[in-house]
Amino acid sequence: MESIAQDPAAMQPRGLIVIPAFNEEGMIAHVVAAATVQTGFDVLVVDDGSSDRTAERARGAGAGVVTHPFNLGYGCALQTGYRYAHRHGYEVVVQIDADGQHDPADAARLADPILRGEADIVVGCRFFSGSSYTMPPLRRLGVQWLRFLLRSLSGIDLRDPTSGLQALSASVVRLYTSEAFPSDYPDADMFVLLQKAGYRIRELEVRMKERNDARSMHAGIGVLYYSYKMTLAMIMNVLRPAQRP
Amino acid sequence: MQPSIDAEALRLLFEQQANSSSARVVAFVGSLVLAGTILELVRRRRLREEFTPLWMTAAIAILVLGSYYPSLVAVTRLLGAWTPSSTVFFLGLVFLTGISLSYAVRLSKLSTQMKVLAQEVALLKSAAAAGSDGA
Repeated sequence: MESIAQDPAAMQPRGLIVIPAFNEEGMIAHVVAAATVQTGFDVLVVDDGSSDRTAERARGAGAGVVTHPFNLGYGCALQTGYRYAHRHGYEVVVQIDADGQHDPADAARLADPILRGEADIVVGCRFFSGSSYTMPPLRRLGVQWLRFLLRSLSGIDLRDPTSGLQALSASVVRLYTSEAFPSDYPDADMFVLLQKAGYRIRELEVRMKERNDARSMHAGIGVLYYSYKMTLAMIMNVLRPAQRP
Repeated sequence: MQPSIDAEALRLLFEQQANSSSARVVAFVGSLVLAGTILELVRRRRLREEFTPLWMTAAIAILVLGSYYPSLVAVTRLLGAWTPSSTVFFLGLVFLTGISLSYAVRLSKLSTQMKVLAQEVALLKSAAAAGSDGA
């Protein structure tokens, strides 16, 4: 951190786009290029043990690439990105999906409140009047359940607590490098932890393309396990002492 | 002359003998202690949430079968067993087999990952050494 403070370039806001990717060779180059152009931030692709040419394509598009030797899961891939950001002293991290679901233009919008010091975490919300985004009924029900649980347990009313498009301040990134961050599905449970620690959470409306459900990590029987695990994790985070780095 | 035995009456006798309040209390308290221990371990981050489904299922099963005796009798009849106690032992065995198998699968995955990790470290060390020799 000290070396960055002495560097004149470090006086400019420094942002990092983190893209966890697993077998996304078809989309990754386009996503990296769009994120670079739209935000001007550095882009890091965390290749989570892909068996295709995801890493090569991402590197070719100008992204930094960190490759896991095997598949560790979405949460682990994100945390690798957070560790990278923390080590390199980035002021803001925006996480976006590698499948092209998120519009990189929104990444810069989400980062703004953090760079202005008005929020610690900004969540991209898919559900608002006029939004064309739809999801299968079972998943929609799961999101509503987590929204209800989050509001009941910690008083936060987020319309989209499972959104993967988020911007995080350096302090939140540091917290997320700890063991408090789950290795599989980091979602609504983390908001309970952040609220307890006094972090400011904000939600902004974003447009997203619909996910290909056949590849979604919450598809099929996974929805039931995900709901169980998330409910348990949220209740446990309420019972745990507040944690702030 | 061999005395005739009414099998159904004998079966009912076995079932009724096992229906004691002390057994129900032990099952009820045991299930609560098990569930409480699991939740406390998760709260202290000594057990991860993804390892809990089997244990929580066991705790709930003990609670239901122990608190509502007719459910244990129904499962006993369903399994073709004669005594509720043998059903409890059988389900315990099924649970232990399931959890051993689950850990064996996780252990196999971990040993494969450990091997790959060690190979990656060795290759990186070799590349770093070659780089420093070249410099």
